[in-house]
Amino acid sequence: MSGAAQGGAPTTKAVSDAPNGQPAAVSAKPAPQLEEDDEFEDFPVEDWGEEETQTHGDKTHLWEESWDDDDTTEEFANQLRDELKKLGK
Amino acid sequence: MFSSQNNNGVESQLCTAVNNAIRARNAAELASIVLLEPPFPPIYQELVQLLQSNYPQSANNSESRLDQLVRRVVTETAEYEDEQGKPVQGWNAMVTFLVGWMTFLRDMDLSNLLHTYQGLKDLQEQANSALTHPIKGVLILPTIVNYARVFARVALGLDKHPELIQHLLTSNDEGSRESLSEKAANVVRVAFTQCLNDRVGTQDKKLGIYKMANICLKILFQADKPESCETIFRNITNSSPPLHVYPKPEQVTYLYYLGRYHFANTNFYAAQLVLDHAYDLCSKSPQFIKQRRLILIYLIASNLIIGRLPTQHVYTLPEAQGLKDIFDPIAKAIKAGNLEQFRRITNPDLSGKNAGWLMKFRIFYQIGNYCEVLVWRSLFRAIYRKTGQEGESNTGKAAVLDLNTVQATFAYLEARAKIKNPEHAWQGAIPGHRNFGHLFQDHASVSKSSYVDPDFAGVEGIEPYNHEVDVAEAECICATLITQGFVAGYIDHATGRLAISGARRPGGAAQNGFPAAFQVIKSKNSDNVLGWKEDAGGSMQGQVIRMSGAKAAGE
Repeated sequence: MSGAAQGGAPTTKAVSDAPNGQPAAVSAKPAPQLEEDDEFEDFPVEDWGEEETQTHGDKTHLWEESWDDDDTTEEFANQLRDELKKLGK
Repeated sequence: MFSSQNNNGVESQLCTAVNNAIRARNAAELASIVLLEPPFPPIYQELVQLLQSNYPQSANNSESRLDQLVRRVVTETAEYEDEQGKPVQGWNAMVTFLVGWMTFLRDMDLSNLLHTYQGLKDLQEQANSALTHPIKGVLILPTIVNYARVFARVALGLDKHPELIQHLLTSNDEGSRESLSEKAANVVRVAFTQCLNDRVGTQDKKLGIYKMANICLKILFQADKPESCETIFRNITNSSPPLHVYPKPEQVTYLYYLGRYHFANTNFYAAQLVLDHAYDLCSKSPQFIKQRRLILIYLIASNLIIGRLPTQHVYTLPEAQGLKDIFDPIAKAIKAGNLEQFRRITNPDLSGKNAGWLMKFRIFYQIGNYCEVLVWRSLFRAIYRKTGQEGESNTGKAAVLDLNTVQATFAYLEARAKIKNPEHAWQGAIPGHRNFGHLFQDHASVSKSSYVDPDFAGVEGIEPYNHEVDVAEAECICATLITQGFVAGYIDHATGRLAISGARRPGGAAQNGFPAAFQVIKSKNSDNVLGWKEDAGGSMQGQVIRMSGAKAAGE
């Protein structure tokens, strides 16, 4: 499938008329602002290396799969109990 | 790119350059010649002027003369014999395309978007025809990709100006109108299908599958037609090589749309798998922070719904700026079982602070509808921990929760959620600080709904509907938690109690009776995702069969 990269890089060049398959406009622009735009923009490059990708494997620093945390939810639970007592339950 | 090197007319030089590119089998070179968008190099401006004067639109024979010119100079479009002496059909569709391209440049009027759209549509269709040539068709693939991107942009732009296109909108059999974007997606999809179904030789057109699919998906999502994407995903599942052999930008873009499609179809587990992989594969370069942010937004939303909550670390990522403010309150409400807070965030009247933002990204109703059961689970657990009877390991008595208590809790929290001003909600609970909103009919501070549908406003005798949770509903909610596997236990209907299992095991009923929601959901879902080709199944299996057959024939 390496042909895809070979075939496509000069294609990008044709459209953007800039070297290395990266439009000149990208480097000239200021850093992208985080305005809330829901359009998923095209990547103006043909590929990137493994070293540029996100971490794989262990995701426990990103997501909690068991989150019954009685310490952080104790306040709400106690408030509930007190209210229930008042209601005579 | 061609340049002016001799005294021939610029149109002949152009055709010579095209012919050289085809002869050299250089698809990228071809794409760099048949440019579509300004700003053009000076020689193209020269070409346009020459076409306008020598091959004017007004003359009947202009196109046939251009046709002759192309056939004379681009000899690579003629019929020829391959190495075995077998005749290979001529590439007539390429001739038509080149003539179409020159007339498009000649007649281009950028102030008339509609005219440009129609010209691009014709050109895209001509390019699609040129792609069908079994040997040389693949050479036009990079050109088609470029053209489709421009075409998509123009079609989407026009759809934002309905006044320009009213007369072009046609009704289909169901009476719904097909937008220009959908029409454009249909044209681009033809090229996608051709790439997918390439069975000739080395099947080079398959290189274009995900490039073309991504353009179609972009159009359909921008046009708010995610339901029209299903055909693409089914086709890919049936006929595509594995996704991972394609360049990473194509993979990430494709997985983003696939994840959004599954999210929109309430396949949240599949959405999470796909988006998680897209997020892993995406470049960390600051240049692509917007793409990573979009992936992350839908990944967090999918994960919340399937009970996999973001850690605080997620919110520190550069692409997560501001997301804590939006998602953390939802995660906290889920963890605590804080139904009042959850109702405030997801109130269908969009009064929640971030409701507009969630609506914009089309995740509001999904979070409201599908996270609710997780809130219920935590609330049951909280009520059990504070009011339930723990089981006894020696007598074998099960842990028990009174459903009357559950009903009272739900009714109480639901009522509080209706008090529009959250500060007033807790005041009623403190003696001496009760609010008097009910005396003054102040609907912002009383726990009664004031909502009447505008259609019924002013009708005599219409009262706002006030839903109140009764014991039967509490029992239903309990049954739903048991059925879905979020609570392990059974209901004793006669006594109105929930018996929770696991009291005798370490951790007791509070742990064993409430399995981790994510594990419950995971166990009910498959890791096979429609549209995600992870290995060489489908058509590639066919190749394996043929190869084994060939071996047997040679023995």
